[in-house]
Amino acid sequence: MSKCTWIFFRQVYFFISLLIFLCLLLAVDATASEPATSKVNSPGSELWMNVRKNMATGKVTSQVKSVDSNVLINSYAQRWTQFRMTQLINYGLIVLLAVFSIIFLFYVIRGRVKLSGGLSGHMVHRFTDYERVLHWVLAIVFLFLATTGLILLFGRPIFIPLLGHEIFSVFASASKEGHNLFGPIFLVSLILMLFSFVRRNIYARGDLTWLLRGGGIIGKSHVTGGFFNMGEKTWYWIVILIGLAISASGLILVSPNLGQSRIIMELSHVIHSIGAIILIAVSMGHMYLGTKGTEGTLESMKTGYVDIKWAEEHHDRWAKECHDNNRLISAEDYAKLQGKIIQNAKVSNAMEENK
Amino acid sequence: MSDRLERGLNTLRAQIDTKVKSYFSSCVHCGICAEACLFYTETQDPRYTPIYKTQPLHKVWQEEYTFWGKIGKKLGLTKSFTEADLANWEELVYDGCSMCGRCSMVCPVGIDVAYIIRKVKEGLAAADYSPEGLVGAAQRAVEIGSPMGIRLKALKAQIKHVEADTGLKIPMDVEGADYMALLSSMEIINFPEYIEALARIFKQAGVSWTLCSEAFEATNSGLQIGNSKIAKLLLERVVAGAEKLKVKNVISPECGHAYAAIRWDGPNWLGKPYNFKVVHILELLDELKKSGHLKTSGKETARLTFHDPCQIVRRGGVEAQPRHLLESVAENFVEMTDHGRMNWCCGGGGGVSANERADELKLKAFNRKKAQLDELNVETIVTACANCRLVMEEGLEENEMDIPIIGLSELLVEYLVEDK
Amino acid sequence: MIMDFIDGPFWYFSLIVFFSGIIWNMGSIVFALSKVDLSVSRGSAVSGAIKTIFTRFAADKGMAPHIRLQIIAGYMFHLGLFALLFFAAPHILFLEEHFLGFGWTPMPHWAFIIASEFAFLGLLILWLHRILNPVSRLISTADDHIASILTFVVMLTGCLALLESFTALRLLHRFSVELFLIYFPFSRLMHAFTFIPSRAFTGAWFGRRGISS
Repeated sequence: MSKCTWIFFRQVYFFISLLIFLCLLLAVDATASEPATSKVNSPGSELWMNVRKNMATGKVTSQVKSVDSNVLINSYAQRWTQFRMTQLINYGLIVLLAVFSIIFLFYVIRGRVKLSGGLSGHMVHRFTDYERVLHWVLAIVFLFLATTGLILLFGRPIFIPLLGHEIFSVFASASKEGHNLFGPIFLVSLILMLFSFVRRNIYARGDLTWLLRGGGIIGKSHVTGGFFNMGEKTWYWIVILIGLAISASGLILVSPNLGQSRIIMELSHVIHSIGAIILIAVSMGHMYLGTKGTEGTLESMKTGYVDIKWAEEHHDRWAKECHDNNRLISAEDYAKLQGKIIQNAKVSNAMEENK
Repeated sequence: MSDRLERGLNTLRAQIDTKVKSYFSSCVHCGICAEACLFYTETQDPRYTPIYKTQPLHKVWQEEYTFWGKIGKKLGLTKSFTEADLANWEELVYDGCSMCGRCSMVCPVGIDVAYIIRKVKEGLAAADYSPEGLVGAAQRAVEIGSPMGIRLKALKAQIKHVEADTGLKIPMDVEGADYMALLSSMEIINFPEYIEALARIFKQAGVSWTLCSEAFEATNSGLQIGNSKIAKLLLERVVAGAEKLKVKNVISPECGHAYAAIRWDGPNWLGKPYNFKVVHILELLDELKKSGHLKTSGKETARLTFHDPCQIVRRGGVEAQPRHLLESVAENFVEMTDHGRMNWCCGGGGGVSANERADELKLKAFNRKKAQLDELNVETIVTACANCRLVMEEGLEENEMDIPIIGLSELLVEYLVEDK
Repeated sequence: MIMDFIDGPFWYFSLIVFFSGIIWNMGSIVFALSKVDLSVSRGSAVSGAIKTIFTRFAADKGMAPHIRLQIIAGYMFHLGLFALLFFAAPHILFLEEHFLGFGWTPMPHWAFIIASEFAFLGLLILWLHRILNPVSRLISTADDHIASILTFVVMLTGCLALLESFTALRLLHRFSVELFLIYFPFSRLMHAFTFIPSRAFTGAWFGRRGISS
């Protein structure tokens, strides 16, 4: 990343932080004058005890004929609440923190996976503009959904103690609206992703060897791979399959009036949240390997080109194909394609002479 | 600040008009113009993006006319305009742009990019950042009267040949003629067939015409290099010639930029309208054809296509006429995929062909034309610009493609009904 | 205190900057004395200008396959944003109450959702294309990025405030709109207005030469 871009992103980061800070200030300002509500015991607890008793024996009927109209108390819901409050939130947090720590530990122990021969400067084209745009659309939307989703999920254990109820309610409302709105964009980009990458991600011979050798990350042995290796293909299918499951369950959750019962809603929520936690966890690995983890990988998603040495190390069969079809581009031509070379050096020299 | 930088900067400043301001403030940097530029499509080098070529003028505009630019300049935050801003753009503007103006047709906010690039040339030329080939051509044009160094003697020798071949007299300095024909140096040296075609067609159609010994050169190196003073000087010779002979019309020859200079830019350089009309030879031929003065018989059977010279068609507006004429003498006329106002340049316009430094790039850019021709599989190419013709001949030879190129007037004369 | 400032003085300040900036910019283009072209015209400059203002909404057929992503995303973003700006219920209500005194039928909620999704996806694609494509990366300046991000933030805060029950979120949206309005006249966002004279100038130039552009 050039220095200029780096400064630019730092400014964006600063700007967004400023907005969040302002949002906090506003929330404090807006809620400062409202009095806190006090807790009151439910007056009809005895009545509801009886209803629950009758529900279990099927004695409750209703004139209204619609989904769940004769359900006054859904006892599944209590199991669901129980699951959400104790298992989902706690284990979810543990899983995410654990994966993060593992990656961090891995980085400390193994360090950056460097290319054994270093970079050659000769490049091959790997991803088109469209493919890269698609990847980053999906990535940005995913990060936004993950952030807003986690705010909603971890409100009680983390954010409410941290921010208080009033301020958190602002965040929760904003997160919910944003989450619902960006969900369909995730689905659309996921489907486009499915179409444009599926052919290269079908498992083939040789993929098993990759798995048996641990993808070359463990140890230093050379592993074989095509355009995508076994690990990347698996990541792709995790994204597609879990992504579709999250999207489908999300659509059920976001439109509650389609005639689905509460149990379907609860199940959708369970699928949605478990799927999301798995996807977020694995995505942390993907983000690490794509940036800090391995040398030369990020280049493919930035410029669309990779160093041939990178290709040989991680995708030897594809690299051979590139060699065979003469697809190598010299360092100079690559710089030209990136608009970095001032073509006529004579002009600049003439300028120097004139000084 | 060096002297030449100051000259360049001052000239650039003077170039900023309302149109430029509107254009720069509406550009959203989408980069769509790149896809319309043959220098970009054939090299994939983003520096050839048309709007990027206007950067020197853009920088000046930004510093002097925009809020942030003014503030940045005051606080010393923005990098000031340096000689590199001129030097590094010389190659882009003179070698990597043929002024074909295709970019101007595709810009979604409607920027006439070629119009701005023409203004950038003005600044570069003032700061002496222009290629040797063009500087030499402009010098010869001013001193000798022709960018290729052709004198009246040479023209007279060619006329003698033509007169011997055709048995017709080529009128010279005839006062009061209806039409005064102009020629481009390339026609005189490489394609005297054009003079022959004129003589035979005008004889047949009964057009009273003449050449002028003091103003036979139509090309304008001042326009190509981007020096309005030279451009005006060269144009004034034509105007003086026409006024001296008291002609009613001046015929612009089969040359692209000459038409732009004489037909469209000329009166604006002079600051007053002409007292004669300017027509392009194709316009005149089409008129003669329509009025029945020009009769043809028979048709060319070879499969042929028409290469639209950018300055005559896209930026000159003579689009329908060549097609009318071709259809009357060709049975098997096919269009290229992008034709007419969207045609691709040969790669050598705007002074590129006069600039030896750009030869390699010019041939690379020709690949675009080659691809268009490969699609069609034609036996003959017809065009209406001597420069296009030379550039394409060179490109075809380099690519070992054996397709003859012929001027439209010459093709027409082959089927001319002549009284014996 | 911050609330009052955003709803009051800062709002009026941003409106003044926005409108006076646009009037100044456009005035300096529209009312500047343009040079008269002395060459004999072949066609009408005026009809050329008017035609080109509209014809440039569509891309050239031969070009389209090469710029498909920009065309699709461009239309998604601009149409989506236009719909959000003028047909979202809260916006119409706001205009009716504070400026116009009358309103018009807003689009239904589902249409609002679709419009905003189009706008978000379109803008994301356009901005990513800007930084990932070598051509647009080379020619883009800080201004282009700031304008894109500011627009995105305005749309985002608007959608985060969709529930319309938190003053803080409404104010955040309003504040981002105010920043946007102030930035607008000094930036490339001005293309929303200057595209008209630009197309007209070019259309007139080609029009008088008898060329359809």
